Amino acid sequence: MTWTAAEAVARAAGICRRLTLVATGGAGERHGERRVPGRPQPSGIEVEALRPYVPGDDVRHVDWNAAGRLDALVTRRFTAEREVCFHLLIDASASMDVPAADGKLDAVRELVTALAWMGLASGDAVALTALGRASTPAIFRHRASAVRAAGWLATLAAAGPLDLGAALTAYARRHRGPGMCLVVSDCMAEPASIAAGLEALRRARHTVVLLHILGPSDVDPARALGGGVLQDVETGATHAIAFTPAVRARYDALLAEHLRDLEAAAARSGAVYVRLGSDEPLATMLIERLATARLVRRR
Amino acid sequence: MSLGAGLANPWGALALVAVGVLLALHRWDRRRRVVVVASLYLWQRIPAAPLERRRRVRMDPLLAARLAAMLALVAAFVRPWIAAPARAVVAPASIVVLDVSASMQTREARGTRFDAARARAASLADAASETMLLAAGARPRVAMRWTADPMLVRRALETLAPLDVAADLDAAVALALGEAAARPGARVAVVTDEPRPASRLPDADLTRVDWMQVGRSDDNVGIAALGVDAPALHPLDDATATVEVRNWSHGARTVGLMARVGGRTWIERRVELPSRGTATVHLGHPPASGVLEVRLADGDAFAADDVARAWIPAHPPLDVVVVSDAAHESSVLAELGRAVRNARVASVSTSAWASLAPARDRIVIFDGVAPDAVSAVPALYVAPPPGRGPCAAIARVADAAVVDWDDAHPLVRGVGSLASLVVHAASALADVPWGVAVASAASAERAFPFLVAGELDGHRVACMAAGPTAPLATTDQLPLVVLTLATLGWLQDGDAAPLVVRTGEVVHAPGGESDDAALRIAGTPPVLVAERVGAFHAGDRLVLANLFDPHESDVGRDEPTDWPAAPSSSATPGARDAREIGGTLAGLAAALLALEWVMWLGRPA
Repeated sequence: MTWTAAEAVARAAGICRRLTLVATGGAGERHGERRVPGRPQPSGIEVEALRPYVPGDDVRHVDWNAAGRLDALVTRRFTAEREVCFHLLIDASASMDVPAADGKLDAVRELVTALAWMGLASGDAVALTALGRASTPAIFRHRASAVRAAGWLATLAAAGPLDLGAALTAYARRHRGPGMCLVVSDCMAEPASIAAGLEALRRARHTVVLLHILGPSDVDPARALGGGVLQDVETGATHAIAFTPAVRARYDALLAEHLRDLEAAAARSGAVYVRLGSDEPLATMLIERLATARLVRRR
Repeated sequence: MSLGAGLANPWGALALVAVGVLLALHRWDRRRRVVVVASLYLWQRIPAAPLERRRRVRMDPLLAARLAAMLALVAAFVRPWIAAPARAVVAPASIVVLDVSASMQTREARGTRFDAARARAASLADAASETMLLAAGARPRVAMRWTADPMLVRRALETLAPLDVAADLDAAVALALGEAAARPGARVAVVTDEPRPASRLPDADLTRVDWMQVGRSDDNVGIAALGVDAPALHPLDDATATVEVRNWSHGARTVGLMARVGGRTWIERRVELPSRGTATVHLGHPPASGVLEVRLADGDAFAADDVARAWIPAHPPLDVVVVSDAAHESSVLAELGRAVRNARVASVSTSAWASLAPARDRIVIFDGVAPDAVSAVPALYVAPPPGRGPCAAIARVADAAVVDWDDAHPLVRGVGSLASLVVHAASALADVPWGVAVASAASAERAFPFLVAGELDGHRVACMAAGPTAPLATTDQLPLVVLTLATLGWLQDGDAAPLVVRTGEVVHAPGGESDDAALRIAGTPPVLVAERVGAFHAGDRLVLANLFDPHESDVGRDEPTDWPAAPSSSATPGARDAREIGGTLAGLAAALLALEWVMWLGRPA
């Protein structure tokens, strides 16, 4: 199936029309539509607090009722409305397209399109970044940019190796927060390395979410393997293996251990960890997985 | 009902080796296969497995499809068949070829060879569901068409008897194989005294035949040849006869030889013969003319070659009348006639000849003339005028030479080459319905018959395009003089000379019906063949038949042997009820190959 931007946006809009991304942090100083309690400001829509009038305050915001009762001038303070920048950090290494039947990269495109649509629909900014690439993030604002964002995703090709932890660390160094970073990857790396990257993002004042994409062949390697010499698509390294039941059991144990380590590393880094299957429908990903993790809610 | 089964090509099972090759290729492919994975991060924590240590072949659907297709192909290759066992025990039809050649008359310890062969043929007919009987003589003959009644076969066998001819056994076997091909499952059995290796049929045909040999005795002394030398125009006393007697056995023999001619004994003597040796007996000064009959009194096992017959012509003095209008030419032919000992020669003109009284045994030479009415006399037309007489001359030509002649014709037999026969003037003859061209000539203008000979109104007649010219005593005239004398000799032999033939030999029949079943006359023009030794009549003509065949006379054989037919799918008992399922298996293999191809296309990358 050829992944096209317009169709992807249409699918995302159909599913996400009544959904929105939950931003637990990451609001910056840029004015936006997302209300940020605890940071009252002189103007706004929703009254959050009152304070004694000081010269320079807008007299239009003087609360005359309160002044009559208190016999002192009081001005209204409003809930801050800020823009949240959603950094969607995509692992576009070669491993995301192997084996092709798993369709991990297509699943990532679908998911990121939906996330971007929800972010743009909320009036937030969306920054799309292919991890490990030298290019600067592509930043989109307003719902009308959803198709352009999807177009950017359509041009994304899986290629090259990626050190996920180092790439996250480098990104954190260049892009300080606050922001909300959603890392999408197959996470086939040392959990400690990934944890270091997540920690770097957190220190850069980002709220971090790790979306782990697993292909069916990652869970059940017998689908594609019958034995032979295994070759790493990114490094070219080889490893001869005989796919016996014992080997299969050993692989299952290692995978379970790896998943536990990833989850623990994310928890230590203050990141939210969500595991997704590339063969899952987009609605399942959004409504079951992300909603359960309180990353998505109804409007 | 349970089914019988078998393999038509058991050796095809050797193709199972291909299954081993397929498994070896599969394992080799497994070992060399490189699978690209997203990451070795987890795999590298599993110790690498040396694949060569892995013994067990891991079955996958693709390998299973390949194995199934291969096994189906092998199964098709061995050509399995199934048949109902109840039908499998039905006796096959049988074609029995019975040798009726002369050598089958040979006496053995218990009757003749033919008796033994007939008994075996009868037992074959008893064991067969249906039987066809072929008699192998000079030509194969169907003695009994397909019948399921063994008694009919036995009666047909009783009517058969060996002939005095050589058998064309190969033709009979070929005919039998052709009949067997039209009836699947039919077997061919040959009962003969010939060994199978003597056959010139292809081995592939012979292996389909049950060959049964009978007979062993080599006890035979026979007349291998009988020749009479009676020079033309010579008196009877100059005639001689030569008898060749041969001992075919492996022991010395002494036999009695008796020769009779014209009912009178010519000679009676004993002949000593070494082992497989030959003795030649020359006979001279015959006491009479007529049929010469030579007999051996030897009491051997084979009698057909113990008697031989020939003809000694009487050769009365030559009586010639030369009819001519040219006195000089007439004198040349008359001079030639007078050169023959005791000859009576007369010269007359055309007009005088018409009034001449006919005489028995007189030969008329028409020298350059031809009467309007054909005369019922032996006649020689020399240089006949165009458009007249029976010779149908068409033109006069100059400078002609003889270019071809029929060596086998009795007229020129012994004359030698006619290549040097050149004439300065001749009458170009035409082909005539009553005779054949014995010699042909060519001039600058045309080619034409030079000498035509045949029978007209019951008398021998010859036409020569040119005759000898004066002077006779020159080298140039010699071939034409010899040819003219040979023609006169042939005319003098007349119609009384009997036809001497070999048994089984097909010759032109002189006409008339046969008085004996052993002399068969048929066809248009009629031909005759003698199937037995003896003297027969074809109309008014005497026919003398002899067996001069060394192959038939050499009756000795090695120890009798049977050569059974090689087993084959068609010869399998009940094979006509068997059904091969190789084609079905081949179709199944093709379907499995198609499935394997689809699976290969859809295999994981």
